[in-house]
Amino acid sequence: MTFAVGALALSGVMAGITYLTARAGFLNERQAEFRRQAFVNASLVQNSLRVPGTAVGQLLESVDTLPGSRSVLATHGQWFATSISVGQSQIPPAERSLVLSGTAASQTFTIDATPEVVVGVPLPGVGAAYFEVFSLEEVERTLRTLALTLAIAAGVTTLAGAAVGRWAAGRALRPLRGVSDAAVAIAAGDLGTRVDAGDDADLSVLASSFNRMADHLQERIEREARFTSDVSHELRSPLTTLSASLSVLEAQREQLGPTGQRALGLLAGDLSRFTRMVSDLLEISRFDAGSAELSLDDVDAGELVRHALAAAMPPHGAAGPPERPVVVDVTPRALGLRVRVDKRRIERIVANLVDNARQYAGGARRVVVDAPSGPGARGPILRITVEDAGPGVAPDERGHLFERFYRGRSSGRRGAGEGTGLGLALVAEHARLHGGSVGIEDVPGGGARFVVDLPIDPEPGGPATDGARAASTDRADPSR
Amino acid sequence: MAAGPATLWSTTRSGRPAGRFPQGRSVSTILVVEDDERIRSSMRLALEGEGHDVVDVASGEEAIDAFARDPTDLVLLDLMLPGMDGFDTCRSIRRASAVPVIMVTARSDTHDVVAGLEAGADDYVTKPFVAKELGARIRALLRRTRAADGDVGTLTFGDVEVVPDAGVVRRGGEEIHCTRTEFRLLTELARNPGRVLSREHLLEQVWGYDYFGDGRLVDVHVRRLRTKVEADPANPRYIITVRGMGYKLAA
Repeated sequence: MTFAVGALALSGVMAGITYLTARAGFLNERQAEFRRQAFVNASLVQNSLRVPGTAVGQLLESVDTLPGSRSVLATHGQWFATSISVGQSQIPPAERSLVLSGTAASQTFTIDATPEVVVGVPLPGVGAAYFEVFSLEEVERTLRTLALTLAIAAGVTTLAGAAVGRWAAGRALRPLRGVSDAAVAIAAGDLGTRVDAGDDADLSVLASSFNRMADHLQERIEREARFTSDVSHELRSPLTTLSASLSVLEAQREQLGPTGQRALGLLAGDLSRFTRMVSDLLEISRFDAGSAELSLDDVDAGELVRHALAAAMPPHGAAGPPERPVVVDVTPRALGLRVRVDKRRIERIVANLVDNARQYAGGARRVVVDAPSGPGARGPILRITVEDAGPGVAPDERGHLFERFYRGRSSGRRGAGEGTGLGLALVAEHARLHGGSVGIEDVPGGGARFVVDLPIDPEPGGPATDGARAASTDRADPSR
Repeated sequence: MAAGPATLWSTTRSGRPAGRFPQGRSVSTILVVEDDERIRSSMRLALEGEGHDVVDVASGEEAIDAFARDPTDLVLLDLMLPGMDGFDTCRSIRRASAVPVIMVTARSDTHDVVAGLEAGADDYVTKPFVAKELGARIRALLRRTRAADGDVGTLTFGDVEVVPDAGVVRRGGEEIHCTRTEFRLLTELARNPGRVLSREHLLEQVWGYDYFGDGRLVDVHVRRLRTKVEADPANPRYIITVRGMGYKLAA
């Protein structure tokens, strides 16, 4: 649109300049011609008048004039004209007096709305003045035609320009749209997206540099994901050795002195934290590599959460203050609810949320299993909420809490340093893998409530698959 | 491999009398197959600490030799081994014996687990495993193999005959070779014809695990069992999947 307006303005200005230039040139040329003609005729008249007895009327008739021009002669106060349409009275007075006083002059004026040019030449030798009146009508007509032509040309140029511009822009931008689509796809996580330049020479430069960039990006991201995975894999062997050796020591705990027992307790605590950290890193690198898969089981929702909670409680005899038992409420509508979920992942969700509450918010107060109706009234969903006894989470912090290694404002109160920094990030990933979501709310009366919503069957209508069959079609594990 | 009933559930190196349901022995022998020397040593220490006898080897080939020479009560098998891998080793041991096999996998969520179970393993643990957890699983599997399966008479469905006391399954009069886990699974299903048994229930009854078993154990074992007792395993007539619930034996 802007382009069309611009084109119109530009062609309008160009047409205007063309018209004015043409008009000035044309008029100057015509007037020079008129003057030349008038001077030629004037000298002819003067020569004739020198001959005594010349009939002035006949003389004027004999003058060779341009079509549409008329002659007027003033001699000894008498005025003669070749046409009744012009005469003394039609010659503008200023022109008349100028010429009669001996100066040649020309002037443009109108007779009956017709533009005329009068050229006056004094003939002092014979006591006369010769005027010739030329019509500019033809010139005006030509100029009008020119103006019209130019206006039409400007209009056509504008329209054609706009059309061509539009077509060209569309053509030029179409490949860019492909690049833009590819960029959007890559940003959305589809790192394998590339641009096909086709046979467009201009685009192929852009496409190849874009693709090169995408290659580098993909390579880098994959390398990083692989690195995390590789490191964690490598750490597992020594961890296995440590864990097995530690269990031997723990079996002989009584034979150690109090110092040895304390050291053993520290060792056991941090080894289990280290193990969890490596497991969490591996887990998250699997999400990053896109190789995380659900292994679905049919379970009772309330039962699942109870068991997960029992497993999440620190073992008896663990260091630290004794834990307050966490209440699990299964709402009436969630009672006996069968869900099809990845048991291990749901257990991790519950355990990580409870761990989080324990470390940052004085422990979980209540865990609720509910089955509200899902969006779009497509039957119930599974909702697991974990309420803590902490100060709550500021609204602007809620989104960040599920980021990896996020150290919130409460980090100063970081408890015994048991966290891996990945717990909540994994909660979000596990929920997402199920097609669910996580959120944080305030509990009236203080505390935060972590809400996990999950579909009760992530693949409704799917084949009556066993978890095993689903898993056996796994894509190859890139970390091996 | 000609694995007759005699080699199916054979004697252990401690000279326990041959029998399908060995009982009353407190010391079990465990074959540890692991190529990492440190892990092997630490596992030996931990398992011996728990009162087991341990035989350890570093490769699949050695494992097969060792097992053929002197069958153990349980095999702990790493899947990632140089040379012959854990899957082949497991299949090879399976051809000769119904010994409980726990495989050690790198990951719990890949097809490794399923492939390992398909190869005949009874269960799996994931590295880095907690020694206590492994100990619990070993105890459950050993306890299970020692305990009598209850005094039920012969169970029959279709042309299949299960004799719990004798540990024998026959189809059309011919004996079918099952692992202990498969046998227990079939017995549990046959004992409750027409009743839907959840995966959790089966894990508890068949594996002796509490809640924390993996449902895939049940799925893969059911699949393996179908290839043995069903005429057309893809369209089972006896062992039916009840979606969202579990499995049942068609009454």
